[in-house]
Amino acid sequence: MKRPVLATLGTITCVVLLLGFKSAPTRAARPAFVSPLSSSEPPAVDSAATSPNIASSAPPDSAAASTPSADPATQAAAQTPTPSTSRAPTPTKTPSRSAAPPPKAVPATFLGASVQTRYGPVQIKITYAGGRVTGVVAVQLPSGRSRDAEINSYAVPILESETLAAQSANINAVSGATYTSDGYVRSLQSALDAIPH
Amino acid sequence: MLFGVALGAAAVLLLWWRGTPYVRGTGDWLTDGGRITGLLAGYTIGIVLLLMARIPAFERGVGSDRLARWHAIGGRYTVSLVVCHVLLIVWGYAVTAHTNPVHQTVSLVSSYPDMAMATAAAGLLVFVGIVSARAARRKLRYETWYYLHLYTYLAVALSFSHQLATGAQFISDPPARAAWSSFYVIIGGLLIWHRLLTPVRSALRHRMRVVALETEAPGVVSVYISGEHLNELDAQPGQFFRWRFLTRNHWWAANPYSLSAAPQPRVLRITVKALGDHSGDLAGVRVGTKVLAEGPYGGFTAARRKRRKVLLIAAGVGITPIRTLFETLPGAPGDITLLYRVSSPGSVLFHSELEAIARDRGHRFYLLSGPRGSGDPLSAGRLAKAIPDLRQHDVYLCGPPAMTDATIRSLRRCGVSPRRIHRESFEL
Repeated sequence: MKRPVLATLGTITCVVLLLGFKSAPTRAARPAFVSPLSSSEPPAVDSAATSPNIASSAPPDSAAASTPSADPATQAAAQTPTPSTSRAPTPTKTPSRSAAPPPKAVPATFLGASVQTRYGPVQIKITYAGGRVTGVVAVQLPSGRSRDAEINSYAVPILESETLAAQSANINAVSGATYTSDGYVRSLQSALDAIPH
Repeated sequence: MLFGVALGAAAVLLLWWRGTPYVRGTGDWLTDGGRITGLLAGYTIGIVLLLMARIPAFERGVGSDRLARWHAIGGRYTVSLVVCHVLLIVWGYAVTAHTNPVHQTVSLVSSYPDMAMATAAAGLLVFVGIVSARAARRKLRYETWYYLHLYTYLAVALSFSHQLATGAQFISDPPARAAWSSFYVIIGGLLIWHRLLTPVRSALRHRMRVVALETEAPGVVSVYISGEHLNELDAQPGQFFRWRFLTRNHWWAANPYSLSAAPQPRVLRITVKALGDHSGDLAGVRVGTKVLAEGPYGGFTAARRKRRKVLLIAAGVGITPIRTLFETLPGAPGDITLLYRVSSPGSVLFHSELEAIARDRGHRFYLLSGPRGSGDPLSAGRLAKAIPDLRQHDVYLCGPPAMTDATIRSLRRCGVSPRRIHRESFEL
């Protein structure tokens, strides 16, 4: 009788400790991931303007782009085979967030690679200003299945807010949207890689 | 060995650690708890299979009966992990997606790759776990249980693809995927090699047949088996083989029986009591029946002996390996003592053989007769009285589990070190 109890308690303790350690120190560790992005050197933005990686320039409308209401637009974009960047969703909107980038920062957008997942392509676009990612929007998402819209509607806002908080591609996959999350992270990484330093 | 298993488990946990940036919120806690238990279950089921891969080093070093016990413990643990994995994942996904668990279960099974197969696999595993539980096991025939148990392989095969296709740790981590796959491939290879190819090769090499049958007592039959190159088997007294008699009804069942006489270059002998259906049918095996033997297995041999003096204790049909040890263990007159417990004088096996061995070799042989529950002749007090220098002995013990458990307690009370007690049990 003793052994099963010990095994159960041991396993539970082990799992809880692992989860506990994982939830506590990573927040403290997050600034370390931010550093490559938050080095707010002005030349980074300037040289970005001449970089071929730049997709388009847009006002800092991150907040609007990342609201769930933008999702139908991104869904629509996803259905075009090669979404041209000029047709990016919600191109103009008044900035609705007071947490705006530092003044004088010229915002630039970077389009991530279109990543093929099991259920369709995922592609995201980031807005970068003042050494920070100020906006992120999905321009392509899986849409073939009836369930995709449902997954996207809850997973994408989480992924967007996580991206803005983490300031890196080091974000958690969203439960129930493992493939979309994986494609999202990889597309995000390619967009971040495109930012010239 | 235990250390190796723990190291592997640590590697599996590291896999999770590396693939998970952080855990936030109730949903994450539940889901990641589910992921950890899932990874561990995927790992322990491999280990549990490995224990049954009939790897000669394990079979001799650890002993087949102990491997079987570890297998049973590991199996229960694995089934528990699988149940936790399923519940935590469903619950965690439901919390994150703000749906109810029932709806979440439906969507998990229907819209994720390979999840239908994985669901079937989990059902099979739980089913195998239930039929292997002690209460159910007693009501089932050994053969029924054995064949239901083989569904585990199907369960492992069905569950494998969902591990790579939906496992958050594997989707975007090719090295992890490769390591995980090779773990399964290696275990599969060992199973095929030792449980399929080796027996086939051995069958072709040894071409065993039944050459004689002899009734030892009511319901107990000795089977003499002859074959070619038997000395190459290198069977030690006290070991057993898994025998498969190629009759029309029973070719598919392999049952473990110990050698009941020291192996001869041309002839092996086993002695079988009508226990399960398969052994009961053995009486119908005829001279000339072809036999496949896997083995030899077991660590219940002279290699475990560390002391000059040896006490052998047998009960019922457990006398078979003990008789072989009694015949072959080296020792001066008086070094080796045999206590043979039987329920009635009529059920004594090898009576004249045992007396002849005792006489020729100067060993001591005591027959303890009496029905079950009529006062334990192997109680601590009686053992100490019969053998005053009990602590200077290595003790070999074979019999029904209830008897060996009780006797081990008696021996411990007499001060015999547990390392000097060697037990072979037939709980296979």
